[in-house]
Amino acid sequence: MDYLINGFSNAFYLLTHMDAATLSAIYATIASTCYAMAAALLLGVPLGFLLGHCSFPGKRAFRLVSDTLLAFPTVLIGLLVYAFITARGPLGEYGLLFTLPGMAIGQAVLALPIVISWTAQALEDLDPRCRETLLTLGANGRQLALYALWECRYAVGMVCVTAFGRVITEVGVAMMLGGNIRYSTRTMTTAIALETSKGDFAQGIALGLVLLLMAFMVNLALAFFKRRGRA
Amino acid sequence: MSANLYEARNLVQRYNGREALNVPHLAIEQGEAVFLTGPNGCGKSTLLRLLAFLERPAAGVLRYAGGADGRKEATLLLQDPYLLHMSVFNNVVLGLKFRNQTANLRQTFECSMQAAGFDEPWKFADRGPYELSGGERQRVALASRLALRPKVLLLDEPTANVDAASARALAQAVKNCTADGITVVCSTHDPALLRAIDIREIKLGSSWDAEPAPLLCPSYPRR
Repeated sequence: MDYLINGFSNAFYLLTHMDAATLSAIYATIASTCYAMAAALLLGVPLGFLLGHCSFPGKRAFRLVSDTLLAFPTVLIGLLVYAFITARGPLGEYGLLFTLPGMAIGQAVLALPIVISWTAQALEDLDPRCRETLLTLGANGRQLALYALWECRYAVGMVCVTAFGRVITEVGVAMMLGGNIRYSTRTMTTAIALETSKGDFAQGIALGLVLLLMAFMVNLALAFFKRRGRA
Repeated sequence: MSANLYEARNLVQRYNGREALNVPHLAIEQGEAVFLTGPNGCGKSTLLRLLAFLERPAAGVLRYAGGADGRKEATLLLQDPYLLHMSVFNNVVLGLKFRNQTANLRQTFECSMQAAGFDEPWKFADRGPYELSGGERQRVALASRLALRPKVLLLDEPTANVDAASARALAQAVKNCTADGITVVCSTHDPALLRAIDIREIKLGSSWDAEPAPLLCPSYPRR
């Protein structure tokens, strides 16, 4: 039991004394997650909107692919993106492997189906009277689209928060594409995995506490969006 | 005699292959007020949705002679109206924003809310839709339609889900609209509303399957 107590006390020491390795892992996690989320939202929300709001040939097939990718194993995403960004891959010249942007590409691929499918679902679940009301108030196509999206803003907010939670707690992609390089691409999750395997619980617990705090904040945001969405 | 604002011939609407409406002939004059009555499922709501240009008919012709874009001039109040997740003020002036008519929004809000039976409109301005009763929601939805100063006001059972006070306020609002020369087409089962306003009544068939040619003509006797 002592090793656990020591682990917790050392974890608090690392956090309160701003340990460089701990802070670096926190920074790498937040930075790669932010890049990934920015890309996933910029691509995913408009695509999800198209899928949920518009009719076009191939829509059902597109939806099926997006829904299937929700269960895409993260190590497989890591493998595929690795194949693209490795030195011999088509994007090898950009030197993305074992960098934060490289990791972010994999994480964005992970988040993209979540954002697309669930944004589409949010629009499909929108009360049909909303569209009729907007039309009968004289909305044109663009206004109809914008206000329909505005009406499901809390549901879309929930989608963002869920995707964020998925990305920030991810290990496989970060390990394969980031390489778990100390002071560079070592994220909180990969650091916890590594330090635990080395038997160094202190940093693992410290990072675990930060991750837990972030998960709590994510859930707080989810609860907010759920409450506002129901209102 | 006024010109016909709406004229429909052999108007048919189908949902999943089932005929929901079959109107051999219908004409509604500019400024006229009409009640649509008939049993459930006879096509009152379908006809209103067609008149509001929310749907295209499966067959037949529906002519609108009011202006170039009927959808901008006709507005429909749904039986169970939907208010957007925004304040009452923004709900009421939303249609004006769609039309880029953003001058005097506060004044328009006040007048429209009063016309819909709210004595103190500003008391409700900042409330969300979830802070209103069913009757208040119905009247706010009506106010949002009145704010547009429509040429045609289409009402689908406006008093179906409201209390007596709200029903009276809605009836008065409809009465004022007819007095202002707005063309009003209102479906209802409410005998009180029918008694409150003395306008033409069109009775739709009891069953479209049983009566494929319901009585719908401009010369139907006025009340």
